[in-house]
Amino acid sequence: MRQRTFANSALSRRGFITVTAGGLLVAGCGGGKGPGGGNQEGVGGFTGEDYAGPALTLAYWNGFTGGDGPAMQALVKDFTSNYDNIKIENNTVEWLDFYQRLPAAAQAGKGPDVGVMHLDQLATNAVRQVISPLDDLADSLGLAEDDFTDSVWGPGIYEDQRYGIPLDVHTLAMFYNQEHFDKAGITEPPTDAASLEEACQALQAAGYQTPMWMPNLWPAHLMFLSLLWQFGGEPYAEDGSAATYDDEAGVQALTWMREQVDKGYSPDNVDQDAQYVAFKNGETSITWDGIWQILDLESVALPYGIAPIPVIGDEQGAWANSHHFFMTAQAAEDEDRANAAKTFIGWMSDQSSAWAAAGMIPARDSEREGAEFTDSPQASLGDQIEALHFLPPVPGLGDVQVQTLEIAVNEGVLGRRSAEDALSSQASDATELMEQNLERFGA
Amino acid sequence: MRGAKQVLRYALLVPLTLLFVSPLVFMLVTSFKTPNEAVQTPPTWWPDPFTTQAYERIFNAADTPVLRWFANSMIAATANAAIVVVTAALAAYALARLEFRGKKVVFALIVSTLFVPPVILIIPNYEIVGRLYWLDTLLAIIVPTAASAFGVFFLRQFFAQLPRELEESARLDGANRWQIFVQIVLPLSKPALATLALLSFLTNWNDFLWPVYVLFSPETQTLQAGLSTLQSANNVRYDLLMAGAVVASIPVLLLYLLTQRFVIEGVSRSGLKG
Amino acid sequence: MPSVSTVRRGDGLVAWLFLAPYLVLFLGFVLLPIVLGVWISLHNWDYTLPGKPFVGIDNYSNLLNPDSVAFEPFWDAMKATGIFTAFSVPLLIAIPLVVAMVMNQKFPGRNFFRAVYFAPYVLGVAVVGVMWRFLLDRNIGAVNSYLGGLGLPDAIAWLSSMPAAWFALVGVTVWWTLGFNAVIYIAGLQDIPRELYDAAKVDGAGRWSVIWNVTLPSLRPVTMFVTIVTLIASANMFGQSFIMTNGAPAQETRTAIFYIAETGLQNFQMGQAAAASWILTVALMLLSLVVFAIFRARGALDVS
Repeated sequence: MRQRTFANSALSRRGFITVTAGGLLVAGCGGGKGPGGGNQEGVGGFTGEDYAGPALTLAYWNGFTGGDGPAMQALVKDFTSNYDNIKIENNTVEWLDFYQRLPAAAQAGKGPDVGVMHLDQLATNAVRQVISPLDDLADSLGLAEDDFTDSVWGPGIYEDQRYGIPLDVHTLAMFYNQEHFDKAGITEPPTDAASLEEACQALQAAGYQTPMWMPNLWPAHLMFLSLLWQFGGEPYAEDGSAATYDDEAGVQALTWMREQVDKGYSPDNVDQDAQYVAFKNGETSITWDGIWQILDLESVALPYGIAPIPVIGDEQGAWANSHHFFMTAQAAEDEDRANAAKTFIGWMSDQSSAWAAAGMIPARDSEREGAEFTDSPQASLGDQIEALHFLPPVPGLGDVQVQTLEIAVNEGVLGRRSAEDALSSQASDATELMEQNLERFGA
Repeated sequence: MRGAKQVLRYALLVPLTLLFVSPLVFMLVTSFKTPNEAVQTPPTWWPDPFTTQAYERIFNAADTPVLRWFANSMIAATANAAIVVVTAALAAYALARLEFRGKKVVFALIVSTLFVPPVILIIPNYEIVGRLYWLDTLLAIIVPTAASAFGVFFLRQFFAQLPRELEESARLDGANRWQIFVQIVLPLSKPALATLALLSFLTNWNDFLWPVYVLFSPETQTLQAGLSTLQSANNVRYDLLMAGAVVASIPVLLLYLLTQRFVIEGVSRSGLKG
Repeated sequence: MPSVSTVRRGDGLVAWLFLAPYLVLFLGFVLLPIVLGVWISLHNWDYTLPGKPFVGIDNYSNLLNPDSVAFEPFWDAMKATGIFTAFSVPLLIAIPLVVAMVMNQKFPGRNFFRAVYFAPYVLGVAVVGVMWRFLLDRNIGAVNSYLGGLGLPDAIAWLSSMPAAWFALVGVTVWWTLGFNAVIYIAGLQDIPRELYDAAKVDGAGRWSVIWNVTLPSLRPVTMFVTIVTLIASANMFGQSFIMTNGAPAQETRTAIFYIAETGLQNFQMGQAAAASWILTVALMLLSLVVFAIFRARGALDVS
C-alpha cells in the first residue's frame, strides 16, 4: 500500500509524459487527492525523532526567486547531506504564480509535500484543505509562544489549529546610498518626516535631482500599510468583515506618498521596479524596499546603508510578513511521507539563524541573539522589530487586497485620484468582497 | 519609370526590414551583457565585456530548462496538429461524400461552433482537465484543442470540390470507403492538409493563456509558459530575460529558415477558397 | 455525370465511424464544456472548495448591475478589449495590404523580405512580449533612448501610462502579426486573374483606378477572412497585456480575457468568470455577424 502511494506520487510529480503515437491516449491518471478531500486531523503523533522509514523524495515548493534563492538552496543541500533517506525536489516559483498554482496543483494531485508560504496565506490554504495542521510538530519542536512576538505567532493559527511553522520575519527598510549621503553632508539616516525632508533637500542641492523615487506598484502598498499603522490606523477588521483604511490615517499616509512626487523628489510615473533598478544603478539616493533585497545589493557592491523606515506618522510601525513552512494534505495522507516532511520542517526551522544570511530576520526571539543575526545588516533595524505589523489571518484577503488596496495606492500615487477618493472607493469595494469571502469560506 | 518604382519599393521595404530585424539583433546582443550593462542607457550594440554568464545561469538552473520547454512545445504542437488533421479529415470526408441520416444536423452543429469564441471554453475545460488529472501534463495542451471545427469546415469544402470521377470509378472497381479515402482523396488533398496542419501547429505553438494556467512544473511547461515564468521571477534581470528569449527563439528560427517557403505558402492558402 | 447510377443505400455505419474520432473530441471538449460553462455560471463555483452553492443568475446580474462590486472591473475590461480591437484591427487590415501590394511582383530579395516580415509570428507572443517590454521600458529601454537622441521626448512611460500603453500594445501587435496577414494578402493578390488587369488597361484605367476597381473588389473574400481572423485575435488579446503591462496602469489595459482568466483561474471564482465569458461571447458573436453582414452586402460571398 505504501509502495503504491509512493510510486503514484512520484509518477504524477514527473508530470511530463513522453508522447508516442500509441501512447497518446494513455491518460496521465495518477492517484491523487480528489476534490474536497484532505485530512484535517493531521497525521498526528510526530515525536520529533528523525525519519527512519524507506527512502523517498519530498516535493518542496517555495517562492525564493530573488537574492534569497541561493541561501535556501544551500540550506536544502545541507539537509540532504544530513539525511540519506530523504531527497528534496525543489521547485521555485515566483510568489504570485505560487499562490495560484498551489491550490490548483493540490486539487489535481500534483502539489508539493512541503513548502514555504507567507503567513497571510495560511488561512486561505487551510480553508481550501490544501495544507495540514502541524500541532504535533510544533509541540515536539518545543515552540513556545514566549519565544515569538505575538504578532508572528497568532496568525499561524487558523480555527485553533497551527498550520505553519515560522521561519523568518521580513519587513520594509529604508535603503540609502552612502556615497550620495556623504556628498550631501548627511551624517545620519533620517528618522522622521522632518529629517527625511531635510535629507531630500540636501541631496537635491548636492545634484541628485530625484533623491527618492516613489513607486506606484510593488512595494507601494506595503509602504502605504506601514504609514497607515504609523498614523494609528488599521487596514482590516480582525474578523475579516471590513476594510478600514479609508479613515483619516489612511488619507494622511497616501497623501504623504503623493506629496513626495509633487515636491519633485520622485519622477511622476515610476515603472514596475524602476525605483529599485535606479537605486541599484546609483541614480537615486533613497528607496524603501524589503530586506530581501539585501543580498542583491550586496552582490553589486553598492555602498548602501540600511535603516528603519522613518517615522512619518505618530509612532514607529512597519509592515511585515513572515515565511512559514507548511505540509500539504497530500503528504499527510501517507504516514511515512508525513513524517519525512515533518523531519524536514523541523530541521529547517532550527536553521533560522543561518537563514539570516539571506537577509531575513529569524522568527524566534532567541535566534535573534546569535551572532549570525546581530552581525547582519538587517540587525540595524533593531527597534523597528518591536513595531512590526502583520495582516490578520483572513482567508482570501490576499486576492482582495490585490484587487482593491493596490489599485487605490496606485491611483493615489499617480495622482489620478485624490487620496480620499481612491481609498474610500476601494475600501468599500474591498469590504463587499470580504463579506462575500466570509460567506464563501465561512464555517 | 521602372527604376523609380524599384527605388520606391526598396525605400519602403528596407526600413521596414530594419524595423523587424533590429529588435531581434538587439535582443541577441543584450543576452551577452552583464546585468548592469544590460540596463545601461544609452544602449550599447556591442557588449563590453562580452560574457556568457546569462546563458550559463539559464542552462545551469534547474528551474529554467529552456531546451526542455522548446521540446515540450514541439511535441505538443506536432501532436495537436496531427490529431486535428486526422480527425478533421475523417469527419470532413464523411460530411462531403457520404450519405447518412443526421448528416445535416451534425454539419450544422459543427459549423455553429465556428462562431463560438474559444473564451467560452476556458473555464469549463479547466475544470474538466483538472478532473481528468491532466493538469501539468502535456495532454492538457494537446487534447482539448484537437477538435477543430474550422478544420472540418475547411477540409469539407476542399473535398467537396474534388472531381468525383476518380472516386466513382474506384467504387466501381470494388474499393470500399476507407480505401477510397486513403488512396485517392488524401493524396489529392495534400496542399489543404498541409495548410491545416501548419495552421494548427502555429496556433498551438503560439497558445499562451492556456499553457500559463495549466502547466506549472518547469519540466512540463511549454516555451510560452516557461518564458512567462522566467519573466515574472526575474523582472529586473534583462540580460537573463533576453538570453532566455534568444534560447527560445533560435530553434524556432532555425526551423523556420529551413521550412519558411513551405510554411508561408501553406499559410497563404488559408485565405483562399481551396 | 456518372454513366451508371449507383444506388446509394446510405453509408450509415461507415459514416459514423469516420466521424467518431472527431465527435468524441468534439463532444468532450467543445459541447460538454459549453454546457458545463453555463452550469458553472449558475453557481458560486470555486475549483478548490468542496461546496459549490447554486446562485441562479446572480453571477450575471452582478456583472450587469452598476451597483455591484464586480460591475466596474468587468466593464472596464470590456472597454479595454474594445479600445484595443478598434485600434489594432484597421491597422492590421490596411498596413499588411499595402505591404502585400508593394510585394506583389517578382523582384530581387522578395522572398527574403517576405520571410523577414513573417518571422515574428513564429516566435510566439512570449518572446515578442518579453523583448518589447525591455525595449519599451521607460528608463532603460532602447526606444526612449533613441527618441531622445532624435530630439523627441525620451521619457514616455510606454507601459505604465495612458494613452502610451495602448500605442505600445497596438504597435507591438502590428509588428508581430503584420507578416501573417501580408502573406495571406499576397496569395490573394496572386489569385486575381490577369485578364481583369488587362481588361482594365485596355479601358485606359489609371493606377489608382485599377486598385480601386479591380484589386480591392477581387480581394474581398480574402479581406473578409483577414478581418474576421484579426478581429477574433484582437478580441482575444491576452499575452501582450499580461507580459508587457500586466494590465497597468491600474488595470486599464486589462482585457476582458485577462479579467476572465484572473477571476476564474487565479482567484478561483469560476462561476463569475464563466458568466463573464458568456457575456463576452455574446458580444463577439454579434460582432462577427455584423462583419459578416457588411461583407455580404458588398458581395464578398460569391462562393460557388
